[in-house]
Amino acid sequence: MASVEVREIVKQFGENAPAVDHISLTAQDGEFLVLLGPSGCGKTTLLRMIGGLEPPTSGDVVIGNHVVTHLPPRARRIAMVFQSYALYPHMSVHDNIAFPLRAQGTPKAEQEKRINWAASILGLDGLMKRKPRQLSGGQRQRVALARALVREPSVFLLDEPLSNLDAQRRASARDELQQFQRSIGTTTIYVTHDQVEAMGMGDRIAVLNLGTVRQIGTPQEIYDDPADTFVATFLGSPPMNLVERGTMLHGFRPEHFSPAAWHDAANPFERFSFVPHREEYLGAERLIYGEVGDEKVVARFPATTQLDFSIGHPVEFGVATRHMRYFDAESGVRSYETP
Amino acid sequence: MSALTSPSTGETLTWSDDDFEPDGRYLLDNSRLLGPIMLMPAVIYIIGLVGVPFALAIAYAFSDVTVGDQSIDWVGLRNFRDVWGNDTFQRALRNSFMFAIVSQVIVIILANMLAMVLSANFHGKRIVRFLVLLPWTTPIALAVIGWLWTLDNVYSPIDAALRELGLLGPGTMFGPGKNMLWLAKPDLAQLSVLTVHVWRTLPLATVILLAGLAAIPQDVKDAADVDGASFWRQFFYIRVPLLIPIMTVAILYGIVFTFTDMTVVYILTRGGPIDNTQVLASWAFFTGVEASNLAHGAAIALFLFPLLVVVALIMLRVAKRAETV
Amino acid sequence: MYDRFLHKPISRRGMMKSTGAALALGLSPAAAMRIEAMAQEASPSADIAGTSLKILQWSHFVPAYDVWFDAFAQAWGEANDVDVTVDHINTADIPATIAAELSAGEGHDLVEHISSLAQYETSMLDMSDIVAESTNRHGEQLAMTAANTFNPTTGKFYAYCHGYAPDPGNYRKSLWENAGIPDGPNTWAELLEGGASIRSEQGVQLGIGMSNEIDSRMAAQTLLWAYGGSIQDENENVVINSPENVEAVAYMAELFRSSMTEEVFSWNAASNNQLMIAGQASYILNSISAYRTVQDVQPEVADDIFFKTPLEGPAGPDFAKAHGHAVMMYQIPNYSPNTDTAREFLLYLQDNYGEAIVQSKYYNFSAYPSNLPELLEDGGLLDNDEFGSNPPDKLSTLKSANEWTTNLGWPGPANAAMGEIFNLPIIPNMMARAATGLQTPEEAVAQAEEEVTEIFDRWRSEGLIGGGS
Repeated sequence: MASVEVREIVKQFGENAPAVDHISLTAQDGEFLVLLGPSGCGKTTLLRMIGGLEPPTSGDVVIGNHVVTHLPPRARRIAMVFQSYALYPHMSVHDNIAFPLRAQGTPKAEQEKRINWAASILGLDGLMKRKPRQLSGGQRQRVALARALVREPSVFLLDEPLSNLDAQRRASARDELQQFQRSIGTTTIYVTHDQVEAMGMGDRIAVLNLGTVRQIGTPQEIYDDPADTFVATFLGSPPMNLVERGTMLHGFRPEHFSPAAWHDAANPFERFSFVPHREEYLGAERLIYGEVGDEKVVARFPATTQLDFSIGHPVEFGVATRHMRYFDAESGVRSYETP
Repeated sequence: MSALTSPSTGETLTWSDDDFEPDGRYLLDNSRLLGPIMLMPAVIYIIGLVGVPFALAIAYAFSDVTVGDQSIDWVGLRNFRDVWGNDTFQRALRNSFMFAIVSQVIVIILANMLAMVLSANFHGKRIVRFLVLLPWTTPIALAVIGWLWTLDNVYSPIDAALRELGLLGPGTMFGPGKNMLWLAKPDLAQLSVLTVHVWRTLPLATVILLAGLAAIPQDVKDAADVDGASFWRQFFYIRVPLLIPIMTVAILYGIVFTFTDMTVVYILTRGGPIDNTQVLASWAFFTGVEASNLAHGAAIALFLFPLLVVVALIMLRVAKRAETV
Repeated sequence: MYDRFLHKPISRRGMMKSTGAALALGLSPAAAMRIEAMAQEASPSADIAGTSLKILQWSHFVPAYDVWFDAFAQAWGEANDVDVTVDHINTADIPATIAAELSAGEGHDLVEHISSLAQYETSMLDMSDIVAESTNRHGEQLAMTAANTFNPTTGKFYAYCHGYAPDPGNYRKSLWENAGIPDGPNTWAELLEGGASIRSEQGVQLGIGMSNEIDSRMAAQTLLWAYGGSIQDENENVVINSPENVEAVAYMAELFRSSMTEEVFSWNAASNNQLMIAGQASYILNSISAYRTVQDVQPEVADDIFFKTPLEGPAGPDFAKAHGHAVMMYQIPNYSPNTDTAREFLLYLQDNYGEAIVQSKYYNFSAYPSNLPELLEDGGLLDNDEFGSNPPDKLSTLKSANEWTTNLGWPGPANAAMGEIFNLPIIPNMMARAATGLQTPEEAVAQAEEEVTEIFDRWRSEGLIGGGS
């Protein structure tokens, strides 16, 4: 087991803006750290630099207490699971899992022991003779994990491993993956653009945009206390509402936006004149789309809640002051002073 | 009845039931009609330029046709017996297989190396790629004439270079003569023919392998890196197995090219010295056309057929497997 | 002005446009005028006006001849209202081209090759009538040219031979002088002696090929003859496996080992000429064409090249024979719709053959010696070469060519089997296998016998050749 640290790491391709721009962060020993961001934010490049597949332009990668910046991937005691799973298509499941062990020259008996162990953990026992093309997406993903696992790595690097699964399968895979990580306790760095995966699985989340880390923290910190408008709007579905008032952006989550009449006068709240335009019924909840002034905002209610306003007619809404978040309108950076 | 206002004219748009009547305008949308029409040129081509000559070759091979007398009288298997009993034929048969197989073994080794080099990033890569592809674009007869000069008994530039390097001439590695006599010594003549075949088929194999290499997902190569595989382990356990289907295609193309080719031998050596480079195709031509014995020529050429059938069957299997993956 | 070939004055009336074109191509004005005069003299016996004539023939080894011939044919065409086209291709490509045209059933009306293509007999017109008419006009043709074109089994002239080129020995005098044989070898024994000495002392090899090409085939036959052997007898029976031939093959092996390099196994028809000109061959068997070419470009080389009659072998002077180097014969394919036109043209060519001989710079000899008797007379054209030989009587050797030149397949006729054999590498390979030690001379001859017998049997079963009884 080991911690993973990157120090002031930079990756520049040609003359373009750096894909990764002076990022420093640490995944603690045993931690499940998620790198979250939109496509092109540099998260995969960062992961590949940690794995040794991409040499950094500058900066260092430290695994355990060793600077591994100039070591090839195979010398880093890491295992990686790719978005496509990158199974060897011409090899059986068994041989795929065995490949890293054979490459390391692990004794045959030991190989089989570890293969059986990984296969049983991941429920692959009946599939060992199959070729990857004969497997479902979920099965392939488990083979990729097994192949990573048998090496007993000190770090797992996972690059969007669930993105090729259908929605249903993805939910259960999240659960399995997290349980799996908890049970083996290996430091894991997980790249995704899916906030649900990030929120649901990560011990901590690092939110990346344009090659820099915008915020790093627990899922709750990231959601409740976004460090800037990018984080505020990247997380949450629908995202945080932002209403410009003076030099500040007033931000609030849709679930905190409700008719002023519902608010308890004892708890201070901020008022908004809301014009609802459209209702979206989602089964468990309903979303009300509308405007405050010229700005589009969304309110979220449990489906069971009776709403006492009607579409098209302005109504007074409010948000409890403790749920309000303020950002500098110009820089988008969080301001902790109440205007 | 639906009505819509035209945005351009403001008129109300209407449709009558007639508009939906099937008529001639949509004939070509019918794939049962369009299919045969589109296939027809290929069918005519295959029947005219493959089927008829092939049927004719079979008819010739079982008859006593000569250039001078093209009336077909059946003689059964006599031509095959005559042809098979001829030492030059035996030689040509062996040489055809030898040239095809040895040249393609060399091609596949060199093509792998070249493809690997060319898939890497380096300065001047486009120029090098262009140069590698050049032999492929040269008309074969022209190219072989170039080789004929290159391998000339007296004026070969290769010999001149060897002499310059002190490798050829009295008391040197390649012996006392002033020239190697590439096309006159049996082993060198065979080597020369092999070299031209390799030179000619290497570009295509390289391009095919380059495409194959490009088709191996980067993830798989990365995974092998992470899994700790050395260069050779990656080469033999990942790259080669993944390239085998496309390599098979390259090899089969090369075999068909070299096995059926007569241009190289015809121009370079005319089968000599003493039939050492004679192949089925050249022997069929010399016998059938130059010596006017069409029946024997056809019988000789038909010995190409079984191998080509095997190659075609393997090709079809590879194609089918490629479809099912 | 008076023309010594036409033996009459030439008028200037009516210069034709083909004559102008010929002038543009470098023909001398006198030659152009003679062409015109000859065309005016032509008097076809059949009505050929309005027909066409397409001729396919080899590119003559003396390029000036083609220039003359094209103008000559054009002028005749214009004078007789015949649309004449002449296509020249490399001689090695002629058999394949004729084969393609016969298969297609259409093509040229006259096709010319330089060795017997008896194997095409069935597809070719019987030319007995043209031979008869030419004989009528010019006297008997050479026995050799007749044997090269006539099938005694079917009684058919499948080709019409107008002339041939002798195939003497060519040697570099300076090399042979150094070897103590200043006038070149007269016998195969002398060739071996001198050739070996020149190779070891002066580093220059002999130039007798053993490869899949026409010169090698002719050289091999000449050698067999000199030893008293042959491939067939006069009745078209295969007699190749004879002690004489085995001895000849053994001789060739020795000649190779002592005076040649492996180069000779890879030669094409031009190789021996090129090497002789480059000073890299001491003796070759070839016509005078290379000599004529080099006269223009390297006169000092030409001055060193001399000619010999065929070498004498153990069988004595009567067997010192050579093939016609190029036995030029036209055939008329059965498909031709213009057979009368073709016939008339051939008769016309023969009528004016003296001019053809001069225009080929004495490369061509006529099948009818009466065509230009001055050529062979003592003190005649060959004794005093007007094309600049030094000494001027250098070509006198060729005066006896009609005696020592014989036909393909001698002592039998040039039949279909010999035609096929002559287009295959069988005989050169027989020599080469023994020369390289791959086989003993006996084995080499035995293998050739097998191959030759198969071919003779096949043609005999087709009824085109005799023998076999």
